[in-house]
Amino acid sequence: MTNEASLLDKYTSEVFAGMVAPVLEGMNISAAPADDPLVKEDVLFRMNTELKRALEKPASERRWVMVIDLRRCIGCHACTVACIAENKLPPGVVYRPVMIEEVGMYPNVSMKFLPRPCMQCENSPCTEVCPVIATYHNEEGIVVVDYDQCIGCRACMAACPYGARTFDFGQTYAEQLPVFEGAVVGGKTAAAYEHASQEYGEARPRNGKHESPVGNARKCHFCLHRIKDGMLPACTTTCIGRATYFGDANDSTSLVTELINKPNVIRLKEELGTEPRVYYIV
Amino acid sequence: MNKKIAYVLGAIALLIGLWGFYNRFAFGDENAAYGSIVVWGLWVALYFFFGGIAVGCFIWASLDLLFEIPALKGTGRPALWAALVNLTAGMAAIGLDIGHMERIIKAYLQPNFHSGIAQDVWGYTIFGLLALIALILAVKQPKNAAVKIVMALGLVVALYVAGAPGKLMGDNATRMYWHAGMIPVQFLFFALTTGAAMLLVIRGFFGMADEKQFSVLNISAAVLLVINLYFVWAYYSQSLAGNMPDLVNPINAVLYGQYSTLFWGVQIIFGAILPIVVLTQRRVAGGGALVGLMGLFILLGNVVARYLILIPAQQVELLDGLSTAFTGRGFSLAYAPSTTEWAVASGLLGVVILGLLVGADLLLPLFTKSQKEA
Ligand code: SF4
Ligand code: SF4
Repeated sequence: MTNEASLLDKYTSEVFAGMVAPVLEGMNISAAPADDPLVKEDVLFRMNTELKRALEKPASERRWVMVIDLRRCIGCHACTVACIAENKLPPGVVYRPVMIEEVGMYPNVSMKFLPRPCMQCENSPCTEVCPVIATYHNEEGIVVVDYDQCIGCRACMAACPYGARTFDFGQTYAEQLPVFEGAVVGGKTAAAYEHASQEYGEARPRNGKHESPVGNARKCHFCLHRIKDGMLPACTTTCIGRATYFGDANDSTSLVTELINKPNVIRLKEELGTEPRVYYIV
Repeated sequence: MNKKIAYVLGAIALLIGLWGFYNRFAFGDENAAYGSIVVWGLWVALYFFFGGIAVGCFIWASLDLLFEIPALKGTGRPALWAALVNLTAGMAAIGLDIGHMERIIKAYLQPNFHSGIAQDVWGYTIFGLLALIALILAVKQPKNAAVKIVMALGLVVALYVAGAPGKLMGDNATRMYWHAGMIPVQFLFFALTTGAAMLLVIRGFFGMADEKQFSVLNISAAVLLVINLYFVWAYYSQSLAGNMPDLVNPINAVLYGQYSTLFWGVQIIFGAILPIVVLTQRRVAGGGALVGLMGLFILLGNVVARYLILIPAQQVELLDGLSTAFTGRGFSLAYAPSTTEWAVASGLLGVVILGLLVGADLLLPLFTKSQKEA
């Protein structure tokens, strides 16, 4: 098997390889190294195993990071939706939007997609400005919000350089729906699902316009409630392009450690010195 | 006559405000127009504005009650009352703005003193208490040495809280438009100017003609306005020359874009140039309604100035495409105050107008005393 054929065999279907191989004839492309972490198995299995391994360590010894491969992101927004479903986010609250940018001029036009979770900054401007220490780094270094402590001043939102926080204005998706008593459809049934958030491992019903998290700043927390139970964040498992990776960067053998120690890795607004824990492969 | 009109205006403003207060208490922040991108709106601007007037009035009161400047004799007590009334409105504005006003107690019990908001909460609380004590002493025992001690302490705190809200914004290194060392200093001068303007309103509409006093107040207000204009020139011209988009875009919106009418019309022409021209005329040295009107114009110009510092900075995209990456409540770079926000603003104005009048008429005989009586 030639270099090209072996490479294509690894990454593409046979039909596609057959179509493309003639074009590559004579070009010098080396196959992916045998130990390429991305070709061994579905990365979800590997990340899951590594997650469980990390959970055996004391919390303070873990360093959760997220890696997003922008070359693989197709802008499908599955992660955005998965996050909304997982955390039962109300209208107007979003933890992981995907920003879309059109670049170039016809005929050289393309789209750039950039998913943006909370960067979980190590030097986080948002925590510094909170007047009541309602937002802080937990023992694993994840920036969390204590909804019962937060006064809703939105200082953290003004301070975040990444616009990673949204305010809960108290809306619900189900409130406009007609109620069909006892039916499997309708406002009441929908509300039951919408109100069953398990964020931060707290069962927090959504009551009226005044009870937290209504009136609070909200943000991505890397799905801490899932991690605790040995599950990857919802965005990571849902990404159809396998563009999102998650794991412990203090584990020298983990996938994320392999990925972030490459030259084509950046962090957003690195010049600010916020030390984000979200890395982008470009 | 002036007073009757003011009572009617105050009552109407408060009535409109009651609807806004109801809306806020019943539906939380849902009917406000600020959101997750423009996170601080009109109510925060009003917090800065009323808080600034309060501090400015206190500093002016200290010129009478602490430094005993003869020309300002008799201004101390009305200025202190005005400080307390405006402080109430300012604190109400920020209380209504935050999502959980009932938890403000946490800022006292578990404060993070790195936070500008915690510093403001403590600063304004100490300031308010000192202003209240000073007023009670000034009314009940004006000769007591304690008046001076409290005024001196209050002056130190007032100088701090005058700039503290500017620092609160400036702390945000990510917003270039706010992150300028001169913003807190500018806020101090805003406070001094609005304090003077408040005295012009009180003395111009309701006080006795007193040439010496008005000469000092009129000229001081005019000089402070010139300093404010200097700040605007220094900040905008050097920022434009620096040519950083995050800084230039909000300034362009103010100078030539959607805010240009507010800026040139209200802040600069009505709020500064016209009062400077009028207040430096010999004819108005005796006070009167025209001086009171100039005081109102200065206040109007100042609330616009605060708004134009607060809002445009938040209308800069933090990341390209962020504002269009999601839709829903509060996901927009655009901001115009909602009806609820305007109604609450009207209510706060009503509180200030009626508070000043009730103070003058019922609680303390403050405003109508001539300097000889005081
Ligand atoms: S991205 Fe924003 S919200 Fe998240 S930790 Fe950093 S500053 Fe805080
Ligand atoms: S909105 Fe809540 S978490 Fe954010 S700074 Fe204010 S109190 Fe802290």
